[in-house]
Amino acid sequence: MLSRRLFGNLPWGMVGLVLTIALIGLAAVYSATYTARGPSHLYYKQLIWISVGVIVMFLALIPDYHTVGRYAYILYALSLVLLVLVMVIGRTGMGAQRWLAIGSFAFQPSELAKLSITLALARYFAEDPKQGGYGIKDLAVPGVMVLIPLLLVLKQPDLGTALMLLLTSSLIVMLAGIQLRSVIIVLVAGATIVSLVLFVPPVKHKIWGSLKPYQQNRIRAFIDPSSDPLGRGYHANQSKIAVGSGQITGKGIRKGTQSQMAFLPERHTDFIFAVIAEETGLIGAGILVLLYLTLLLVGVDTARNAKDRLGVFMAGGIVSMISLYVFINIGMAVGIVPVVGVPLPLVSYGGTSTITTFLALGLLLNIQTRRFELFY
Amino acid sequence: MIQEDSPAAVQRRLPLLAALIILFIVILLTRLWYLQAVKGQYYQDQAENNRIRPVKIRAPRGIIYDRRGRPIVENVLTFDISLVEEDSPDLDATIKKLSSIVKVDQDSILKLLEDASNIRTKYEPVKIREEAPWDEVTVVESHQDDLPGAIIEPEHRRHYPYAGLASHQLGYIGKVTQAQLKQKQGDFGLLIGQGGLEKIYDKLLRGTTGRRMIQVNASGRKVKDLGIEEPKPGTDIFLTIDLDVQQAAEEALGSRAGSVVAMDPNTGEILVMVSHPNYDPNLFPRGITPKDWIRLTNDPTHPLYNRAIQSVYPPGSTFKIIVTLAGLESGVIKLDDKVACKGFIKSGRHTFRCWKKGGHGPVSLHQAIVESCDVYFYTMAERIGFDRIAQYAVKLGLSNLTGIQLPDEKPGLIPTSAWKEKKTGERWYPGDTYINAIGQGFVLVSPIQACRMISAVANGGHLYRPVLLKQTRDRETRTVKTFSPDRPEETHLDAAALEEVRRGLAGVVAEPGGTGHAVQTPIATVAGKTGTAQVIAQKVPGKKLSESTQDHAWFIAYAPVENPKIAVAVLIEHGGHGGAAAAPVARRVIEEYLRNAEQKVVR
Repeated sequence: MLSRRLFGNLPWGMVGLVLTIALIGLAAVYSATYTARGPSHLYYKQLIWISVGVIVMFLALIPDYHTVGRYAYILYALSLVLLVLVMVIGRTGMGAQRWLAIGSFAFQPSELAKLSITLALARYFAEDPKQGGYGIKDLAVPGVMVLIPLLLVLKQPDLGTALMLLLTSSLIVMLAGIQLRSVIIVLVAGATIVSLVLFVPPVKHKIWGSLKPYQQNRIRAFIDPSSDPLGRGYHANQSKIAVGSGQITGKGIRKGTQSQMAFLPERHTDFIFAVIAEETGLIGAGILVLLYLTLLLVGVDTARNAKDRLGVFMAGGIVSMISLYVFINIGMAVGIVPVVGVPLPLVSYGGTSTITTFLALGLLLNIQTRRFELFY
Repeated sequence: MIQEDSPAAVQRRLPLLAALIILFIVILLTRLWYLQAVKGQYYQDQAENNRIRPVKIRAPRGIIYDRRGRPIVENVLTFDISLVEEDSPDLDATIKKLSSIVKVDQDSILKLLEDASNIRTKYEPVKIREEAPWDEVTVVESHQDDLPGAIIEPEHRRHYPYAGLASHQLGYIGKVTQAQLKQKQGDFGLLIGQGGLEKIYDKLLRGTTGRRMIQVNASGRKVKDLGIEEPKPGTDIFLTIDLDVQQAAEEALGSRAGSVVAMDPNTGEILVMVSHPNYDPNLFPRGITPKDWIRLTNDPTHPLYNRAIQSVYPPGSTFKIIVTLAGLESGVIKLDDKVACKGFIKSGRHTFRCWKKGGHGPVSLHQAIVESCDVYFYTMAERIGFDRIAQYAVKLGLSNLTGIQLPDEKPGLIPTSAWKEKKTGERWYPGDTYINAIGQGFVLVSPIQACRMISAVANGGHLYRPVLLKQTRDRETRTVKTFSPDRPEETHLDAAALEEVRRGLAGVVAEPGGTGHAVQTPIATVAGKTGTAQVIAQKVPGKKLSESTQDHAWFIAYAPVENPKIAVAVLIEHGGHGGAAAAPVARRVIEEYLRNAEQKVVR
């Protein structure tokens, strides 16, 4: 029930933190997409996404998070269906098929998948505790649970999101506790498969040959950005110039020469951080990074205060997911992580990503709010 | 001891997560500090001096060749003077200076920039002067420093060396419109096919735009090339049209309004397709001026109209071929039956005349075709019944689209009694049968339908879909793809009936009294049929009638008689008698084609 007590327990500080970050993002989208004719329609769309997101965040407070946990597998199955659907009837954008058209909106199932996998893993590990950490056999089921959507996303091809799914689930497994032996086995197996695909001619030929030329190009550019001088390598370099030239105080909103130029086609999505850093300098970029730090540590605290395993795993999983997205995205903008094309949570332009993030944070709030309740 | 199912077992690992997060943030902050505080000035300089931007490299469009490999549409390299607004610190001064060099006044430049402003992206050049003359190009090039933002853009421009030749078929290109931009049919400034084959095969012809990364200085001029993504040139296409024959046909038709269509009766390949008056497609590529456009659309002779497929005319006596086939197949017409032609026939209060005043006397079928006796066909049509005749007309493709790959074909009309009743509320009178049987009244046929019909008569009843595309050739791989004709529709017409028609048509040209002597040529035997269609305008009272009182002249033919290689339909609006006006045009086309028919296609 959305009682007064619930509202009373609501950590308003955390809500304020989330809204502050989202508004910084909105300002950046405004600046990055500003046209000679005034604010672009993308700005107004993002304004709508954030409004919808805030509503979704509060709606996520209503059910008990255990109820959400009960639906975790159904949500997971739904995500799989949507991922298959996107393969069959999806819309192609920028060489990859990752959108579902719903009316005039484009919905990106892989964004929903990242949250539903986190929730499904949380429920799995919450219900199946193991003394002394999980062995390799215990990880078979969650492994398959991650692998299916991962392969579907890989097929789009969206290497960035696939990588994020892998990293996020690895962090959750770490949180669940894993035997050292299992870690070694997984690493060796992974390395074997990768080297098989990359270096053994018949296997390489079979898998590589089944890809379309543009898919091969994307993978090649991912591994070696310099093979695509006009694409990713170029973006990374321009992004670095943008960030660096912002210096301490920045060039001012809409004054960023790099950001306002047409050189970064994804400046309002994947490279939005470069815009912020160029226009508001180390001060602005630093503040944003510290806001994220605060939010994420509050999230860890939520997990620490949770009353049961499900709460811990859900909160921990969500925090892991968001922190990885923040690190990879910003790392990409400052040139320490390869350009993989993942959004900056709450800040990058994008409907599905924005709303999913708000939903995840709503669940975090949900767990936080119910930390004093007894369930037994 | 902590119980394994209590949250504490997991929670003791949370500090690990917190540590990882803090590590992430510290790495990011350190990197930010390094980039922005330590190396800030260095990157500031880079941002200021290293202005890098992508420049589009347009792909040359595919060349259009005739069937023997001679170019009929080509590209020429021209230079445009463009302006990048963002590179000009004092735009007004630049515009003022620019307008003193190029022949475009300041207001026009402002208007061009204004028009482009909501569709272009930043740093995208706007064309100020297209196909600039060489002296303007050199002045702009040498006054770079006074003209920040002004650049020279090389561009492959479409050139139609034969101007109006086959213009309706070739079509034209123009800038992507705003609506097309929205539908992602092209990007800002791209020239795409907007009419005719240029539009139909645009995907093939267009190629893919390439990109060049350049480093520019403060006034937007290239300092250094950083990388290039080569454009992929468009695919060349080879048409089925024969340039020599097309030229001969255009010449023979001259300034008269009308159309000539010729095809290979064994494949459906279009050899000639003329529609006069025509227009010069060279007017379009750089954006047709409003003045030219108004002139073209308001011209009473409709030069933009493709008469070969979009205009339908009463077929006149050429329709007697259909009546003959219907009569023979249904057994109504016997070869020896004679009809006495007194020069007219009466039906109730009305009199229907034969074109020959005194009448032909007793005529058999063969003689009726050769001399085009109207009374014979009035009589036979009445016995056959027009609805049955209509079935044969439809069988031979009339009133149906031929399916040629050109926009806006018109189907024409073959009336039936049911159609008339529905349309006018009146029943079908015997008089309707008479006038429609000689191709007057309601019957309407386009030149391409007439050509397809005579082809089917020549080839034994196979109705081919007319095609214009013979082959394509990839510019880079030189891979040639040849298109073979579609399987024809079968009319299943009786071979003997067709043979009788063909004998008649040969007689039209060769026998004494035949109406088509003017098509006779020493190089081949020809079979054909004249048609003279009365102009409906005659019957409209109160209108001023001048040249338009003249009849439309038809001639449809094929040659050689023994082994048909070409079928032709000629229509001349208000040309007068078919045998006198249209037949000589058909002769020119047949002669020109058969003279060179043995030559192979050049690859």
